Amino acid sequence: MESLALGGPANPQERPSVPVYLYVTVLSSFCIIVGLIWDISWHMSIGRDGLFSAPHLAIYLGGVTAGLFSGYNVLKISFAGTAEEKGRSVKFWGIFYGSLGNLFCIWGAIAMLTSAPFDDWWHNTYGLDVTILSPPHTVLLLGMIIIQFGAIISVLAYQNLESGTESIAGMKRFGILYALSSGFVLGMTYTMASEYLGRHEMHSVLFYQISCFLFPLLLSAYSVSSKSRWGATQACLVYSVFMMAMGWILPLFPAIPRLGPVLNPVTTFQPFDFPLLVVVPAIGIDLITQRFSSINRWLLALFYGVCFFVLFIAVQWPFANVLMASNGHWFFGTSKWYFGSDPNWEYRYAFPPWNLNSSMDWAIGIPIALVIGTLAARIGISWGHWLKRIVR
Amino acid sequence: MIKKILLFIPLTIAPLVAGSHIGSPGVSFEGNAGSYEIMAQINPPDVIPGTATVDIFTDGSNITSIWAKPEYWYVGDEGTPQADELLPVEGEAGHFRGLIWLMDAGTSGIEIEIKGNSGEGSVLVPVMAVSTRQKSMDPALGWTLLGLCALLVILMVTIISASVSDGMVKPNEPITARMKQRKLIGALVSAVALLVILWGGKSWWDSWANDYRRFMYRSLKATTTVSESNLTFSVDTTRLSNLTFTRNISYIIPDHGKLMHMFLVRAGSMDVFAHLHPTRKDSVTFVSSVPPIPGGKYLVFADVTRFSGFSETIPDTFEIKEPIEGVLDSSQLGKDDTYFFTNSVTETTPAPGALQDVMICGKPGVRLPLADGSTITWEHDTANPLRANTLYSLKFSVLDENGNQASLQPYLGMGGHAVVMKDDGTVYIHLHPVGSYSMASQQTMLARFENEKGPFDFDKRPKSVAFMDSVDQIIEHLEAMTEGDRNKVLMAGMQHDQFDASHPEHSVVSFPYAFPEPGKYRIWVQMKRNGKVLNSAFDAVVN
Repeated sequence: MESLALGGPANPQERPSVPVYLYVTVLSSFCIIVGLIWDISWHMSIGRDGLFSAPHLAIYLGGVTAGLFSGYNVLKISFAGTAEEKGRSVKFWGIFYGSLGNLFCIWGAIAMLTSAPFDDWWHNTYGLDVTILSPPHTVLLLGMIIIQFGAIISVLAYQNLESGTESIAGMKRFGILYALSSGFVLGMTYTMASEYLGRHEMHSVLFYQISCFLFPLLLSAYSVSSKSRWGATQACLVYSVFMMAMGWILPLFPAIPRLGPVLNPVTTFQPFDFPLLVVVPAIGIDLITQRFSSINRWLLALFYGVCFFVLFIAVQWPFANVLMASNGHWFFGTSKWYFGSDPNWEYRYAFPPWNLNSSMDWAIGIPIALVIGTLAARIGISWGHWLKRIVR
Repeated sequence: MIKKILLFIPLTIAPLVAGSHIGSPGVSFEGNAGSYEIMAQINPPDVIPGTATVDIFTDGSNITSIWAKPEYWYVGDEGTPQADELLPVEGEAGHFRGLIWLMDAGTSGIEIEIKGNSGEGSVLVPVMAVSTRQKSMDPALGWTLLGLCALLVILMVTIISASVSDGMVKPNEPITARMKQRKLIGALVSAVALLVILWGGKSWWDSWANDYRRFMYRSLKATTTVSESNLTFSVDTTRLSNLTFTRNISYIIPDHGKLMHMFLVRAGSMDVFAHLHPTRKDSVTFVSSVPPIPGGKYLVFADVTRFSGFSETIPDTFEIKEPIEGVLDSSQLGKDDTYFFTNSVTETTPAPGALQDVMICGKPGVRLPLADGSTITWEHDTANPLRANTLYSLKFSVLDENGNQASLQPYLGMGGHAVVMKDDGTVYIHLHPVGSYSMASQQTMLARFENEKGPFDFDKRPKSVAFMDSVDQIIEHLEAMTEGDRNKVLMAGMQHDQFDASHPEHSVVSFPYAFPEPGKYRIWVQMKRNGKVLNSAFDAVVN
């Protein structure tokens, strides 16, 4: 049975497979995304919350755990670390040593801490916002996603360093942790952009243009950097299963609006969105990586970009019709409706005209989406190659 | 549509009294919630969405719990969330307090529900939910955030520079010069990128602040012109950035039988006071005859209430160099219009005929003579100064020429009217015995909750021209009535006795009010006796 230990291994012969620190950071990433989706659901169903509401506690748990563990690691290595531990770390500000994953997690925790008084002031000054993207929320979301990114970096640094010396079981564990951490980042990215990625927008050009920026960027990086042949697909599966599970579990619990006006008197938690079908283009991206990984990176980016757009629109467009036609089916979570919105809105289960585009819009919009997708994929490829080289 | 208007109008001619404010955001209430007598002070948030503070004062007996919840006119009764319990304030028997969230701008109300030995009772107190304040950041918080921001930038530059250099070097391998160069370039590029991101963030913040300012509540602008004995009040409705139906001037409703209640006060001295009721010339122009007033600069406050229940005060000023001869004949001035001259608020000596420290019902008070030989006494102990932000029941009693309790009549369907102003003109409030809120708003909301279900369908709102015609007909009808008949109509359905219940002879009237800030105030009190409106002005120092 494999043992677990804090920090890095002292002797390669006694090398433990996966340090506890990695489990902790991935668990922190999980707490953060669970807390965030729960919090959004809370605001759609109950409305009012306090500093210590249950979803907030989940988010804090993730942030504090990752921040404290990372801070502890940095202090321990800096002031009581062995030469080997310091040798595996990056040195900064003259006296400190820590892994890049530590640094990302510390940055994320400080950003989350910063957002608290900023958000409090914001609410007092501009009112309680019921939007996901406001400046203080963005600071918070950046903190969260950087912690989650720190989890990816931490896993990858170990995975990259141990590659070739690690047992198959150990590499499998790294692979699982990588799939989880990359899937949680995908979930967070989707959540941050969800105001533009809802089912009412799924027949608009902008929806595909935004998708072509976000997803090729992440999926190509995952596909390139993963030790698995299915890095992008695995991340998308984690994202999809996680989102579906949240969408099915949350409505099982009662919730009553505590803020007015109440236009939609809900009685249970309103779920967040059904996952986008990004798993389909992710399979395409992974297949391209398997066959063409050594070709010119711009050409590879073009393949990724085109592949993503074509496969994504091919599945998401008709699936949007299914979501609308589901008329509030529990499986898709399409019954969810913010308590402050009129449930009898004529476009509740229809694409509103202002979200539909003319042929000319599409004629211009599709090439733009392809260019965006290609550029995003190109950045993703470079990013992925950088991720492959991270060893500290 | 016409049917809808006609259905609505009989409800609006019930006791409708403006309750608007300038510089006095709190809403006061004194009256009954079922069989429970309470006083309430609601301080609405200055930023929407935000929380209103609700304070309820009771005698403490027979009450087991007090609850409150927000209601919105446009949403309807069903749109009300679960009520929150107001909790007893420690050390203050009978005082309950709680916070109520107001999430949307518009006409809202706080429904207060009382449970106790006499069953359940409730009352709806209107609150205009609007953002009125642009706040700045406390310097200590600003510096703290700036420090954290600097730390985050420096740390991120460190992370990125390490990511492209040391982070890619295997353990115990040397950091080459090339790597050091990459580190430097990474630091420079990331620093520039982060500064660009910060600049973008600031632009975003600025646009958010601009949007907030754009939708913040501002009083409507108006232009007042006085020519000979005529006053014209023109409202500029072109600057409404939101609540365009809620605050539409075409949809004003009779408020206590009058479309508009206008008060003129001479600025500085506050020695001239007039209460007028301009009539509508067109949808934005209102005209009135002017009483004979001396020259000077005048403050104008015009109170209106809409079909949506939204009530507000439209302020303005005008200046006249010479005295206005004006109209003395009440048939021309308007039978309910009145004016009053008194001493200057800047004088240190009391008003002529004033008596300090008289005793009324065993309590000290300040007494003033009235025009018909009777006297009015404010039950106020001058040795016990008033305090800001404390809810008082300002009680006034009238004695006839022989020193006996006088019998007061309703004035515009109310036991009395009061106007409170700070000497610098920054605070203005129109009070009635029920409080500082608009009863028109209350009636409008209650009528809608009773007669309609679901959110208000703005697409099916009555046409403004038809609405104005219907309202004008109602006012014409009221004006043609005898005063007795009109008072019966205006007082129909009153939830609260307009006169102090402990004085069945109708000689005492009280006004609940909390002065919003320290300073010197003038309180004009208007009551009616033997068919004549009796005006008086008391001065109050608030600490």
